Amino acid sequence: MSSNQTKDSSFLGGRIPPEIESMSKYLKDVTFDHEMFRKILKALVSSIEGRDCREAMKSIAESSVIPEEKLSHVVAGMYRVLTEAIRIPTSSLKQEAFKEDLRELRIPEDFITDFASVVFGSRRAALEAVTSQRDPHLPTLGDLRWRVDVTISTSSLARALQPSVLMQMKLSDGSVQQFEVPVSKFQELRYNVALILKEMNDLEKKSVLKIQD
Amino acid sequence: MADVEATKSLTGLLNGIAQKAYYDNDEITEELLKTELFPDLSPEDFGALHEKMKGLLKSIAVADMDHGQLEAFLTAQMKKQGGGGLSEGQASALSRFWKSQRARVRESLLARSRWEPGLRGLTWRVDLQTSSGRGPEEAPSGPVALLELELGRPSQDSEYVCLECDEVTVSLVLKKMADIQRSIDAIVRRSQED
Repeated sequence: MSSNQTKDSSFLGGRIPPEIESMSKYLKDVTFDHEMFRKILKALVSSIEGRDCREAMKSIAESSVIPEEKLSHVVAGMYRVLTEAIRIPTSSLKQEAFKEDLRELRIPEDFITDFASVVFGSRRAALEAVTSQRDPHLPTLGDLRWRVDVTISTSSLARALQPSVLMQMKLSDGSVQQFEVPVSKFQELRYNVALILKEMNDLEKKSVLKIQD
Repeated sequence: MADVEATKSLTGLLNGIAQKAYYDNDEITEELLKTELFPDLSPEDFGALHEKMKGLLKSIAVADMDHGQLEAFLTAQMKKQGGGGLSEGQASALSRFWKSQRARVRESLLARSRWEPGLRGLTWRVDLQTSSGRGPEEAPSGPVALLELELGRPSQDSEYVCLECDEVTVSLVLKKMADIQRSIDAIVRRSQED
């Protein structure tokens, strides 16, 4: 690792990612006009927000005079700059520090301003919300339906008269779980759910657990 | 002394029949019960005794007799004339056996008519998300409950279902559970009034 690439406070980490290095090299090229840069930036933001940007990228590639290989380096680098910057809270990465880090890469000032307007602009909250949804998750509970039955009689028991709960859970991964809960188990389940809620409420009250930077 | 031994053997026989008929224990066989408990009885006599006890137990179990019903049933059996009659010792052995095993036998019989997987257990954990690979380091979301439900059909291995819930979902689930509880209570009340 060469020492000229390390800088303690860079939001990009100790070693500048290769795609960002090649991006900065190509952005200095005079043929790279500002309008093109903005088009790419716009497409990348919509891609991070989860929208399909293939058409936009295709039209950028077709209208560009820049060789496709160079263009793809620039797109990859810009994408990395945005995602790396968004994952650091604004309380840790100040706008000036961000700009300074990009200046060190000799990225033209106009482009830096545009980058900063995305990372620190009005869209920041939306971008954060979308990216956090993409973190690893377990399926969530979509729908919970229930039914209480009383078994009157069965093939083995003439007089059963036994209540039971049938539950159906639809999960966000599309699966459906259906299961029966005997009354004794139901009490246990209810007790635990109440306990979970209490834990969650307590946790929110505890300022100790607010993560400090 | 002989009576005590006879009662012991009879109780053993009833337990053996229950193991085989209600608790799905295949290791207990009629031969085993004969050699272990009634070695002196002729095969015919043992066979008759076994059949009789098995039949009586079945009648008691299917009707899920309570104490009063059982007493009436046993008294009627004791008054029966001929070979089908029940001795006092046999009646009291049956009575004692049923007192201790009623709940378990009932549970086992109920389980036979259950086809949906049943809830066997629940384990959970409450997490606070702090940072992630792509998202912001200081996640805006609150605590997350991670739940693992253990589900299984009788005599089958458990399956596990994992899910996560935020606080809003957990409180919604709890509200539904209060509704379910009310529904169960209403049924129990109604059946007590009958």
